[in-house]
Amino acid sequence: MAISQYRQENQRVYILHTYPFKETSLIAELFTEQFGRVAVVAKGARRPRSSIRGMLQSFQVLLANWSGKNELKSLNGLEWCEKLTVLEGNALMCGFYLNELMIRLLPRDEPYTELFHFYHETILALSVGEELTIVLRRFELKLLQALGYAVTLDQDEDSNPIIPDKIYRYEAEYGACDLTRTDHGIKILGKTLLDMSKDFYQDKETQQQSKQLMRYLLGFYLGDKPLHSKQLFVDLQG
Amino acid sequence: MKNTEALEQLVDALRCLPGIGPKSALRMAYHLLQHNRKGAAALSSAIANAIEVLGHCSLCNNFSEEPICSLCASNDRDASLLCVIEMPTDLIMLEQTRSYDGMYFILMGKLSPLDGIGPKDIHLDRLLKRLDTGLIKEVILANNFTVGGDATAHYVSELLKSRGIKLSRIARGLPMGGEIEYVDSGTLAQAMIERKTINH
Ligand SMILES: [Zn+2]
Repeated sequence: MAISQYRQENQRVYILHTYPFKETSLIAELFTEQFGRVAVVAKGARRPRSSIRGMLQSFQVLLANWSGKNELKSLNGLEWCEKLTVLEGNALMCGFYLNELMIRLLPRDEPYTELFHFYHETILALSVGEELTIVLRRFELKLLQALGYAVTLDQDEDSNPIIPDKIYRYEAEYGACDLTRTDHGIKILGKTLLDMSKDFYQDKETQQQSKQLMRYLLGFYLGDKPLHSKQLFVDLQG
Repeated sequence: MKNTEALEQLVDALRCLPGIGPKSALRMAYHLLQHNRKGAAALSSAIANAIEVLGHCSLCNNFSEEPICSLCASNDRDASLLCVIEMPTDLIMLEQTRSYDGMYFILMGKLSPLDGIGPKDIHLDRLLKRLDTGLIKEVILANNFTVGGDATAHYVSELLKSRGIKLSRIARGLPMGGEIEYVDSGTLAQAMIERKTINH
C-alpha cells in the first residue's frame, strides 16, 4: 500500500483552533496552503514537556508534517518557519473572528490555496495595525467568493451595469435588483457595490453599508447559529 | 450486568476529571477497590467535605472556607498591588517565587472566543467590584502567553481603561539559565521583540 501519498511534509499551515482530545492530546484545526482545512491529532501536546505545546498557537505560519487518510490525521511534526506575527488588542479579536468564520464555512480537505495566501496577507495586515473594518470586509468578501458563492457587485441581476446613485435591493444568491422587485435582502446604494467591486473602502458610507451587506450575506450562509467571537466584540464595545 | 452497577457508576464519576478517559477511569477504579480501599474512603469523604465547606473568597475568588481567605486577610501583603491570574495553580506557582507580596484575583479560566467562553464565564464583574474599593494602584496581568491568555489580558485592560489604575503584564523571555542555542524560536522571537533597554 502506498503510504507515502498519505504523508505530507513541510506544509505551510496556520492553526485555526485547538481543542482537548483524549487524555493528553489536542485536535488542531489547520488551514493549510495546499490542502485547505485539515484536522490533525497532536498526540501528547497537552503534556507539560511537549515540544510542540507552545507552538500550537493561532496566527503564526508553521511548517507541519502529518499523515493519515481519514478525516482526522496525525500530526507528526511542527516547526516555526516565519517571522513571529503579533496580534494585539482588537486585531487579535478580529483574528478570532476570521478563524471562526473559516471553521464554520470551509469544508475540510478541499484546497483553497488562493484563500490561504489572502488569509496570510490579512493576518499580516491585522498585525501592522491596518484599519480593522476594511481588513475584515475584504476578507469576508474573498471568503464567500472562494467558497463559490457568487457575490456580483458591478452588475445587477439582469446584467445591467450598477448605477452609483441608485438604491438597490441586494439578495443572497441573486444579487442587486430594483427596489420594486422584491422585499427580500437589504437595501444598498449602487456606489457601495461599485466601491466594493473596486476594493475601495475609504468612504465612510461605503464602510457602513458594506458592513451591513456582509453581515446579511454571512448570516445567510452561516444560518441561525451565532458566531461566538462576534459576541465578544459586542461585549467589548458595550 | 446488575452486579457491577456500582463499579460502572464509579468509572463514570471518575471520568469527570479532566483528561481522564474510560480506560484510565477503569484503571483508577480497580486500583482504589483492590489495593487501596482505605485511600478510597478518605478520598470520598474529602471530596464530600470539600464540596460542603469550600466556597470562593469574596476578594480574590480563590477557593476558601472563610468568606475572606487567609491570604487576603493577611496584614503582610501589599494591598495596592493586584495580580490577575487564570487558575489557583498559578497562584501557588507565583507564591513559590517569593518575589510578589501583593494581592491576587483569580479568573478561574480564560476567554476562548471560538468555544463560546466569554467575559461572563471568568468573573470579571467580581474583579471590577474589587477595583471599585479604590485601594488598588496597580494591576498586574499574569495571564498565560497563549492566544486565549492574550485575549483575556486585552479584555481586562479595556475594562480598566477608564479607571486610572496602572496596568502591567508580566514579562516573557528566556527561561532562567536559558541558552539561546536551545530555546525555541517563538520564545526567542518574543524576547527580541520585547527586548529591554539597558542604556541609551
Ligand atoms: Zn482571597
